[in-house]
Amino acid sequence: MSDNTILSVRDLRVTFQTNDGPVEAVKGVNLDLKSGETLAIVGESGSGKSQTTMALMGLLAANGKATGSVKYRDREVLNLSERELNKIRGKKITMIFQEPMTSLDPLYRIGDQLAEPLRYHAGMSRRQARPRILELLRLVGIPDPERRIDSYPHEMSGGQRQRVMIAMALANDPDILIADEPTTALDVTIQAQILELLADLQKRLGMAIVFITHDLGIVRRFADHVAVMRRGEVVEDGTAEAVFTAPKHPYTRMLLDAEPEGQKLPPAPDAPELLRGDKVHVTFPLGGGFLKKPTYLQAVKGISVNLREGQTIGVVGESGSGKSTLGRALLRLTESEGRVAWLGTELPHGIDEMRPFRHQLQLVFQDPFGSLSPRMTVGQIITEGLLIHEPSMSRAERNTRAGEALEEVGLDASMRNRYPHEFSGGQRQRIAIARTMILRPRVIVLDEPTSALDRSVQKQIVTLLRDLQLKYKLSYFFISHDLSVVRALADHIIVMKSGEIVEEGPTEQVFDAPREDYTRRLMEAALSTERFRPAS
Amino acid sequence: MLGYTLRRMASAVPTIFIIVTLTFFAIRIAPGGPFDLERPLDPLILANLQRAYNLDAPLWQQYLMYLGNLIQGDLGPSFTRRDFSVNELFAQGLPVSILLGGLALLAATIFGIILGAIAALKQNSWLDNLIVAIATLGITTPNFVIAPLLSLFFGVILGVLPAGGWSNANPAYWILPVITLALPQVAVIARLVRGATVEALRANHVRTARAYGLPARVVVGVHALRAAMLPTVSYLGPTAAALLTGSVVVETVFGLPGVGRYFVQGALGRDYTLVMGTVVVIAVFVVIFNLLVDLAYAWLDPRVRYD
Amino acid sequence: MTDATMTAAPSRSLWQDAWIRLKKNRAALASLVVLVVLGLAGAIGPMISPHPYGAIYQQYVRVPPSLEAYPRADEIEPAVTDLIRRARVDATETEVSGDTVTVQIASDQPIDERVVRYFQRSDQFFNPELELAGDGLSGTLTMGVERNYFFLGTDNLGRDMLSRILIGVRISLAIGLLASAMALVLGVTYGAISGYLGGRVDNVMMRIVDILYSLPFIFFVILLLVFFGRSLLIIFIAIGATEWLDMARIVRGQTLSLKRREFVQAAEALGATRAGILKRHIIPNALGPVIVFVTLLVPKAILAESLLSFLGLGVQDPMTSLGLLISEGAQNMRGASWQLIGPAAVLTVILFALNFLGDGLRDSLDPKER
Repeated sequence: MSDNTILSVRDLRVTFQTNDGPVEAVKGVNLDLKSGETLAIVGESGSGKSQTTMALMGLLAANGKATGSVKYRDREVLNLSERELNKIRGKKITMIFQEPMTSLDPLYRIGDQLAEPLRYHAGMSRRQARPRILELLRLVGIPDPERRIDSYPHEMSGGQRQRVMIAMALANDPDILIADEPTTALDVTIQAQILELLADLQKRLGMAIVFITHDLGIVRRFADHVAVMRRGEVVEDGTAEAVFTAPKHPYTRMLLDAEPEGQKLPPAPDAPELLRGDKVHVTFPLGGGFLKKPTYLQAVKGISVNLREGQTIGVVGESGSGKSTLGRALLRLTESEGRVAWLGTELPHGIDEMRPFRHQLQLVFQDPFGSLSPRMTVGQIITEGLLIHEPSMSRAERNTRAGEALEEVGLDASMRNRYPHEFSGGQRQRIAIARTMILRPRVIVLDEPTSALDRSVQKQIVTLLRDLQLKYKLSYFFISHDLSVVRALADHIIVMKSGEIVEEGPTEQVFDAPREDYTRRLMEAALSTERFRPAS
Repeated sequence: MLGYTLRRMASAVPTIFIIVTLTFFAIRIAPGGPFDLERPLDPLILANLQRAYNLDAPLWQQYLMYLGNLIQGDLGPSFTRRDFSVNELFAQGLPVSILLGGLALLAATIFGIILGAIAALKQNSWLDNLIVAIATLGITTPNFVIAPLLSLFFGVILGVLPAGGWSNANPAYWILPVITLALPQVAVIARLVRGATVEALRANHVRTARAYGLPARVVVGVHALRAAMLPTVSYLGPTAAALLTGSVVVETVFGLPGVGRYFVQGALGRDYTLVMGTVVVIAVFVVIFNLLVDLAYAWLDPRVRYD
Repeated sequence: MTDATMTAAPSRSLWQDAWIRLKKNRAALASLVVLVVLGLAGAIGPMISPHPYGAIYQQYVRVPPSLEAYPRADEIEPAVTDLIRRARVDATETEVSGDTVTVQIASDQPIDERVVRYFQRSDQFFNPELELAGDGLSGTLTMGVERNYFFLGTDNLGRDMLSRILIGVRISLAIGLLASAMALVLGVTYGAISGYLGGRVDNVMMRIVDILYSLPFIFFVILLLVFFGRSLLIIFIAIGATEWLDMARIVRGQTLSLKRREFVQAAEALGATRAGILKRHIIPNALGPVIVFVTLLVPKAILAESLLSFLGLGVQDPMTSLGLLISEGAQNMRGASWQLIGPAAVLTVILFALNFLGDGLRDSLDPKER
């Protein structure tokens, strides 16, 4: 152990007592952190990366138990009494969390919450703490701190709340800042700002940072060391340089390689036009009620699109830009004004009138956990469309088709008698795709189909979607905030903001030569968190 | 805030109006009348009585007349207790009910919160299990079981407290009724507070407070308990309205002169004005306490704003 | 990490999972057993009980609970003497052996054979036989001693409390179940329609529920009783008609939240009909919370019936229910506390068991665990 190692973890194990017996989440992890450096702990969901830091902060759930050793400046801190631990955490070691929306107490002003670490660690009074709080708010780039100090968390945006959390973490000049997926819940442009802020603060203040993330790419710019975790174990660690340029473990290589690759060629110029929307307009009533006038939200403001056979239109934009609503309006799943035409004839509005068209126009959702009914077997889920569109089909025939559809998406046909909760996220998304494919659709609206999945699984789904498109000449309307996936799948890009199209064009052109400022900002943000590709 | 309060008061008027109208016609259409005694009255006397109480007028006229009086705060004369007006009956009974209900409410809130918080902080310990078991017993045992059992045990077997009866001056008479009224509410509030506190302790912002090394009293007292109070406050509104307007069971078992009995007695005896009066009083209490709850909620939770 | 791997565990639906979890919950399982036993006792008990619930034993008014039979050994002779005196004859010798009594009687006047009637009418003796001597002035009276057990004592009229409690359990459980079933049907239909149609229809339908909600339950019941006369049917309709409001709210909330779930939207995207969505998606998924709520509804309905009976608005003598028994017990608790304690304990046990079962079901059906 060298002199400037300030945190050293040895053989850390975390076990949770569950109804199904003990579950070991962390299995003998060793880590070292030098003062002033950045250590990135990278892993997919369930890798134990968060529980490792929760254990050393004494924040494990009640049924969790940690063994091993965690030394902070040669002092054992694992399983310290709450009182002893409180002398260190919040003062020497601080932490920011993934959920900026809920990590601050909604009932107190942010000034009061920022004062707490100062009052209980530095012994300041509320009044003494005020100038320091203003200084901290200025440090993390909160505009107008004199006014913002009296705001409640719900009056701030997600990015601002994360800045407040960072201010709180810096309050007592900590040695170590643990950042647990601090940007995951934020929009891509905000993500970049927060990352920049952290890197900048580290340069100025010199604390060590432990950065926990599922995304190997985003730590590349400022991690000194990287530890890759998988199923509770560290499978590879080393300098960032070594891990990124010469990854040793196949899992690390797979993570680095998880970036969807390739490009989509545009469809043939004479490819027939399938789905066309003209000046589509969607308005939602907002609130209102007994004695109030309802207000309206214009979610989509007169957008026109034209989807041809074999084409993939990628729709990008931040949350709330109206991209999902547009997708639904094109399928007549939400009330809209304007014209939507299928093969040149206008689509009807009523549920019953639309039914004959539905098997050609399908939809895949973001959340593979929510989009499968938990009380039905996979077979029942997949064949529901057949029940509706081919009611004369015999049960045996449906069963065969279900098996075929499962195999088509890379699952075993025998799984049709199981229930959705028995499957992983990636498998569920395959089931959801099988449900649409069984109807032999021609257009599929893909609403963030990979956003809820781990990187390595994302790539498999992207490959599957691409194979299916080639095989069946499918057209995709692909909605995503993840630019790298869009770039790999789409041949035409629509950039949306506040219900309007900001820019559109062929993928190459939008990515390489964006015309609009907003697009450029979006691209820059994505590029600054851009994943690193191995030199090979 | 003031504007909101006034608007809420105004929006309660139609609700009360609908309830008053429904009750008025329902009870008036029901067969029987206030002067149906075991021995039928002389037709002449009956006619005189009906004229005296305006019962001979068309129903819609009586309805308008009642509404007119109601607006002036006059609930009319009682039909069955002919020496009293309904206003006088409430003036006598309501203080008793409010006293008992208020004490019960106070006791229930204090003990409920303390027990619930203890159970949550010692989650899954024997103390927690004990509190939860007692609370379940308190919730499941109806007050018409608790009341006579308490009266039997403390009043008859031990003889330490009056088994029944009422005295404005002697608090010994208040104890058993207050306990009966409070027990189920203690149980409900304890369970509510326990659940809310357990949830609050799991909340992300409490995790933040712990991660920043704040002392346990701050983590629990400042960050967890305030959040845990919110569902309790919502519950207290209708409960307070119900407790303060008397309980027919408790008044029957202990023989108390409260207003809880008026309703059943009035409805059975077709004491039209008494029934209507009770409905109006209860409705007003419900409206007031729902409003108080909303104001308290806004005070506790800055995310809620009325304007 | 291929996506197609699958553990070989047997496939279980959520219902099977819930049942397995419920079986692990001992309190809930014990409650289930208690309820089944009490349900059987209420259903069969009154039929096998030797005392009809309305039978009056004038000799046994307000006797305390006992495992021993009445009359007690030392009460037999006084009882015989008392009857002999009323028959206006003299007993020269009384002999009690086991379950038979032999009395030598004599009189100055010829003895009328009808003196046996005094003994026939008694609850304590059966099968009296009189053998008169030739002169008719003396004779031998033999009779069996009727052994009566009152394990829970008797009430003020001399009715067996155990039989009355059994019939009370029957009435309470029956009304609880029937009223809950009615509330279930009404509430699920109303709530599902309101929630699924949404919008203005939903607003109006829920406004109606709100207004009905603010009418006091007792007022509603009294009105119904006044209009339609008192009967078991009206009581159960009145309770069902008030309890459905909660059910309607719960089902509506469930439907509203399910309607927004992605699997329902996926079904809409597949082109499913409204009926198909209700049948395949909404109802099966709303069933869990509804089942849990029903187990909480049954005790509420039982409680409502008991409250009505306690207030004298419910079941009428000689028919009885737990609430009525408790009310009578409360009036007689001085000196006859068993009249209160017996039915109060049974009612509490029923309510407690239903609550535990409900809690257990909620835990085992809780979707949060997934």
